[in-house]
Amino acid sequence: MNDTTDTGPAPFDVRPVKKRIWQRLSLVWLVPLVALAISLWAAWQNYADRGTLITISFENAAGISAGETTIKYRDVTVGEVEDVEFSEGLTDVLIHARVDKTVAPFLDDDAQFWVVRPDVSVRGITGLETVLSGVFIEGNWDTEADVAQTQFTGHEQPNLTRANQRGTRVVLRADDGGSIAAGAPILHKGIEVGYLEKPELSFNGRQVIVNAFIESPYDRQITSSTRFWDTSGFSVSFGTGGVSLDVSSLASLIEGGIAFDTVVSGGEPINEGHRFDIFQTEQSARDSLFTDPNAEVLEVAVLFEQSVSGLTEGAEVRFQGIRVGEVRSLNAIVVGDTATAEVRLQAVLAIEPSRLGMGADATTGDALELLSDFVTRGLRARMVTGNILAGTLFVELVEVEDALPAIMNLTSGDFPVIPTTDSLISDVAATAEGLLARIDALPVEELMDGAIDLMDSFERLANDEYTRATPAALVALLDDSRSLINSDDIQAIPADIRKVIGDLDGLVTEAAELGLVANIDAAVLTATQVATNIELATQNLPQITADIEAFTARANELELAALVTSATASLDAIDAFLGTDDAVAFPGEANAALSTMRTLLDDVRAGGAVENVNAALASANEAAKAVEDAVSTLPALAARANQLVTQTEAVVNSYGERSRFSAETLATLRDIQEASDAISSLARTIERNPNSLLIGR
Amino acid sequence: MGSAGQSHGLITARDAGLVACQQCGQVHVLQARICKRCEGRLQSRDAESLQKVWAWLIAGMIAYIPANVYPMLLTSTLVERSESTIIGGVIELFEHGSWGIATIVFAASVMIPVGKFVAIIYLAISVQRHSKANRHERHKAYEVVEFIGRWSMIDVFVVAILSALVQLDTIATVNPGIAAMSFALSVIFTMLSAQAFDSRLIWDADRTQQ
Repeated sequence: MNDTTDTGPAPFDVRPVKKRIWQRLSLVWLVPLVALAISLWAAWQNYADRGTLITISFENAAGISAGETTIKYRDVTVGEVEDVEFSEGLTDVLIHARVDKTVAPFLDDDAQFWVVRPDVSVRGITGLETVLSGVFIEGNWDTEADVAQTQFTGHEQPNLTRANQRGTRVVLRADDGGSIAAGAPILHKGIEVGYLEKPELSFNGRQVIVNAFIESPYDRQITSSTRFWDTSGFSVSFGTGGVSLDVSSLASLIEGGIAFDTVVSGGEPINEGHRFDIFQTEQSARDSLFTDPNAEVLEVAVLFEQSVSGLTEGAEVRFQGIRVGEVRSLNAIVVGDTATAEVRLQAVLAIEPSRLGMGADATTGDALELLSDFVTRGLRARMVTGNILAGTLFVELVEVEDALPAIMNLTSGDFPVIPTTDSLISDVAATAEGLLARIDALPVEELMDGAIDLMDSFERLANDEYTRATPAALVALLDDSRSLINSDDIQAIPADIRKVIGDLDGLVTEAAELGLVANIDAAVLTATQVATNIELATQNLPQITADIEAFTARANELELAALVTSATASLDAIDAFLGTDDAVAFPGEANAALSTMRTLLDDVRAGGAVENVNAALASANEAAKAVEDAVSTLPALAARANQLVTQTEAVVNSYGERSRFSAETLATLRDIQEASDAISSLARTIERNPNSLLIGR
Repeated sequence: MGSAGQSHGLITARDAGLVACQQCGQVHVLQARICKRCEGRLQSRDAESLQKVWAWLIAGMIAYIPANVYPMLLTSTLVERSESTIIGGVIELFEHGSWGIATIVFAASVMIPVGKFVAIIYLAISVQRHSKANRHERHKAYEVVEFIGRWSMIDVFVVAILSALVQLDTIATVNPGIAAMSFALSVIFTMLSAQAFDSRLIWDADRTQQ
């Protein structure tokens, strides 16, 4: 209405011109833009940094909780569990976890996961930190990125070996897994150098297979000649060296353990996964070292007729005392046809040709040939007691000198058969029984009776009055002796003797003064003559000796026949000779002469008068003459003796030396010779000291 | 021009040709640009008010997302290490029976910020649409939003105090998480948004329609 009536200009419009939209925009809009940008960037960053999702399946999820349980690799947290759920059909527990992108490429098919829980064992406590912090999942993989995976199967037990741990894994075989536990230590010279992994049954179920990991650098010790043995528990061995108790370590005592050693050099280096056997004892392991387990052995059989109780598989086979093999198996077989069938016990011996000294490259054929050769020369097998107490036996191959001829049966049966000989089985019971029987047989009771009697006798003797009186009597005797010695008479004896000597001295002096020398000379002459006679007589004695020697020489050639009569005759003749008056009378005459001289001297002493000396000398002269007479018969005697000897020689001419007769004859001749010697001695004495005839000494 | 104001028996300063200094309250003629007393900038209406409101509000809402997604507290004790978000902490407290604290935390951390977002959005939209309804109520709502906004910082204070006090090395440690920072930013942005809102616009609905 105003617009049509008002002709003036349009009213002033004060409304400002609208600014363009970018002019109207406030700078404050930068704030939300920046905030948005930051948020988006952070979100993207977060998303981009988000780890790779992996899934691990476990049998159970004990201790695992989403958002808390971490995944660690070499004790560094590399991931976290995001979700825990069941797989389809509730067969497994699926753990979804995110692992850092940096490690995700390394999670290839060798990656392993297991849950670390506190573990208290003999060997120590592990995973203690998980008591407070809860369990975590430990992962292990090598440092080589392969085709990354996201699905894994978790292990229930910790995997003991890190994937990149340096060392060698070998496979051990044992007959019995009772002493093998996962994680059990492997010892080398007492140092733990590795461990066993989980034992498993072999495919055929006969053996226990266990992987063993030996850490570097100890694995260099393992060669093809390395032997492993079981050190678990403790072993008590009772051998010739006594009782020995072996305990390896406390851990291996409870948990079991395997030790190894390489005693001989020259083994070849092994590859990963080399197979070894676990020996029961260190000894058996070491014994086996000297043989290559792959070496061929010669199997021969021995058929024993008797019980082989005590012989076990693995028992030694010795040849000349040296171990050459072992008993491989024992079983009973039937020998012979149906009519003559009998059961024998067959021991199959595994003999190593190299141990027979045939060299390393000897074949079983060579060994068989050698053994066959030995058998024809008397080699036999027998059982010998190895340990009396344990009753164990071993088989010994021994050469029997007077063996019945036999050959090795090479054709019949599965094995060549070595013939047997009597076994040397010393049963401990039998031995003990024999010992007891011998003890029983001892006359113990008689011995005791005798001893008791003896003691009774001693007792009676000791209690006897006379025995008791003996010491007193002895004392009395000693007293008497002492008093006798102390008596004046005995004491006076030396003085008397001195006096007698003085008297004699005086007597001789007086005799010299009275000019008795001439008479004495005469007497001496006479005595000299006597001596000459005696000398003549004694000159014949060598002759006699020569004769006897001749006779003896002849006697050597004698025969035994006609011994008795001639010997008796000869002895009779000798007896007759000895019984003759001359022989008997001679000593009597000599004695008489000496008695006369003694009487003379007595008279001289008794007389004590110088005047009687002449008479005495005359008597002495007479006595000397008597002696001369007596001695003059000596040549005759010698002649007779000579004659007798000659006779005897003639008689005994044909008899042997060794006979009893000859012995008697020789004895007789010796008697005669002694008699002759006595005579000769007497004659020499008289010759040397003629005055002894006078003095009577 | 003045019919609208007159119709309600009220006129605005702008209708009266006046403008008041927002700092010191000195009244000037409408054409004045600088306050003669305090030299403050004189502005009868902030033409960019709504832009600022929206901008700060959006920034605050963006910041509020990580504040809820990321953990507020990083608690490490000897045995465990836990991270709790705002909602997670509330639920945890609620489960432990701490109803009161759970309620306070929930109110301060969730209800108030979200309520502020809603209130500011409502105010801004209503101003843009020149809505004449509930103008007194809206003005009250604005005052409440501006007053209560600062209390949202209670969460941030709790986190700051805990982090400062609980530092016992390995036994127990509390550290602020990313959410604490985001939440603080969110609160600040929201407060700035509320501050940027020119409440006089509520009453201009009649005038701008003309």
